[in-house]
Amino acid sequence: MSHPEDLLADYVDGTLDERERAAIDAHLPGCARCSAEVRQAEAARAALSELEDVPVPFGVTGPVLAEAGRRFERRRGVTWERFQWAAGLAAAAAIVVVVALNVGGEDAQNAAAPERTTAVAGGTGAAGGAEAAAPGVIPFAGIERQQDVSYDEAGIQAVAAQAADAVVAAEATPGPQAAFASTVQDLKERTSLAKDCVDRSGVRGPNDVLIRLIEAKFEGTPAYIGVFSEGPGAEQPPDHIVVFVVAKDDCRILSTASQRIPPG
Amino acid sequence: MPDPPARDEDLVRRYLSGDRAAFAALVERHERRVYNLALRMTGREEDARDATQDAFLTVLRKLSSFRGEAAFTTWLHRVTVNACYDLLRKRQRAPLLERGEDDLPALEPPPAPDHADASSLSMDVQQALLQVPEDFRAVMILHDVHDLRQEEVAAIVGVPIGTVKSRLHRGRIALARAMGIEQQGRVSQDPKGPPASGGSPGAAPGAPRSGERADAAGPSEGTVSP
Repeated sequence: MSHPEDLLADYVDGTLDERERAAIDAHLPGCARCSAEVRQAEAARAALSELEDVPVPFGVTGPVLAEAGRRFERRRGVTWERFQWAAGLAAAAAIVVVVALNVGGEDAQNAAAPERTTAVAGGTGAAGGAEAAAPGVIPFAGIERQQDVSYDEAGIQAVAAQAADAVVAAEATPGPQAAFASTVQDLKERTSLAKDCVDRSGVRGPNDVLIRLIEAKFEGTPAYIGVFSEGPGAEQPPDHIVVFVVAKDDCRILSTASQRIPPG
Repeated sequence: MPDPPARDEDLVRRYLSGDRAAFAALVERHERRVYNLALRMTGREEDARDATQDAFLTVLRKLSSFRGEAAFTTWLHRVTVNACYDLLRKRQRAPLLERGEDDLPALEPPPAPDHADASSLSMDVQQALLQVPEDFRAVMILHDVHDLRQEEVAAIVGVPIGTVKSRLHRGRIALARAMGIEQQGRVSQDPKGPPASGGSPGAAPGAPRSGERADAAGPSEGTVSP
C-alpha cells in the first residue's frame, strides 16, 4: 500500500468505513511516516477540540445593529423623506414623548399618564396645528407581571397583533385609557430594570416607543416582553408594532415579532 | 412539542419584509460563533472585533440578495472567513511565515501537556495556529474547533471535499509541529519527515516550520529538515 494520504484525515476523524480503517490499521505498523503523521494529527485535533469559545466582548455588534437601524429607516424611504422637512419641532415633540415615557416612568407610572398625553397634544399642536393629537399613542402604564405565563412564538405574535389593534383603537379615541386588559402593577424598580434590559439588548430603534412591558416566560425561560410602536417619525402615527422578548438573566434576545398597523 | 425557534431563513425573510428586530435576532444568535471563528483566525481580540463587524455588515448589505440556495449559516461562515482574510491581508499579517523569529509573539517551547493548565494550553494552541497558513487554518478551525462537517467546510471555503481532507491533514501536522509535538522517536526511522516528501506545494505548513520547530522544540529532533 502506498502512503494513504487522502484517507488520513478521515482516519483521525474516525469516519472511515470499516474496510478502509482496517487497511490503514494494517499499513501503519510498517510505515513510520504515516504513523508519525497520524500521531501528530491526532495530537493537533485533540488540542483544537479543547479550544473553548470565549464570550463576545460587550459592544462588538452594537455598531452593526445601529447601521441596521439606519438602513431600515432608509428603506422606509419615501414616506420618511417626505416628512423630513417637518422634522424640527415635530421631532422634538416625538422626543418629548419618549423622554416623558422614560423619565415619567421613574417617578409615577400611572399618575403621569394623563399628563404625558397632554404634553404630546401640546407638542404637536405647537409644531403645526395637526388636529389629531398624538394619534395612536398608547401611554405606557407600567410593568405587567405574568411570571407564571409562558409565551411561545405564536403567543408573542398574538401580543403584537393585540397591540396593533390597541393602537388602531387609540387612533379612533385618543386619550388615556386602559389599552390592555392585563393588570398593570406600578413597580418602579422592576419597570426600570426591565426597560434597561430591553434597551441593553440593543434592538430598540430611535422611533420605537414603549407601550407595554410584560414580565413572563418565553418557552419556559424567564423573560421580559417589550412591546413598541414604531413609526416613520415626525408626526406620523406608528405603522408597526415590534415585540422584543429578552431573557431576564442576561437580556439576550429570545424572540421577536412584528405586526403592521393597518392605516387608519 | 413547543414551537421551535424561528429558522435563520425565516428571520431573513422577516427582516426583508419589514421586521427590523429579525436582523437583531440573527446577530444575537450567531455573534458568538462569528466572533470566535474570527478570534481563532486572527489571534487578536481587536481583529476579531473588526472582522465580526465587517462580516455582519456584509451580511446586512447583501441580505436582500440572499436567495437561500445555501444555508444561511454556510453563507455567514463564508462571509466571516473572507472578512478575516481581508483583515489579515490589510494588516499585512499574512506573511507571518516569512517573518523572522523575533516577530512571532511568545513562541515559547510549549510546556509538557501534563503540566499545562487549560488557559496556557489554549494560548499555546492559538499561537501555534497562527503559524499555520490561512487556508489550512480556516479549514481546521471550522472542522476541528467548530465541529462542522467536511462537506459544510467545503461549501464554506469553496473547494472540493478532497481539498478539505488534504488541508485538514496537512494543517494538523503543521499545527502539531508548531506546538512542538514531535514524532516521538519514529522520525529517526524516517528521516525525510512527512511534509517535505509528502505534500503538494501547498504543504507550506511543513517547510517553513521545521527550522523554527527545531528551535522551539530544543534538541529533541534536529533531524527533520525541509
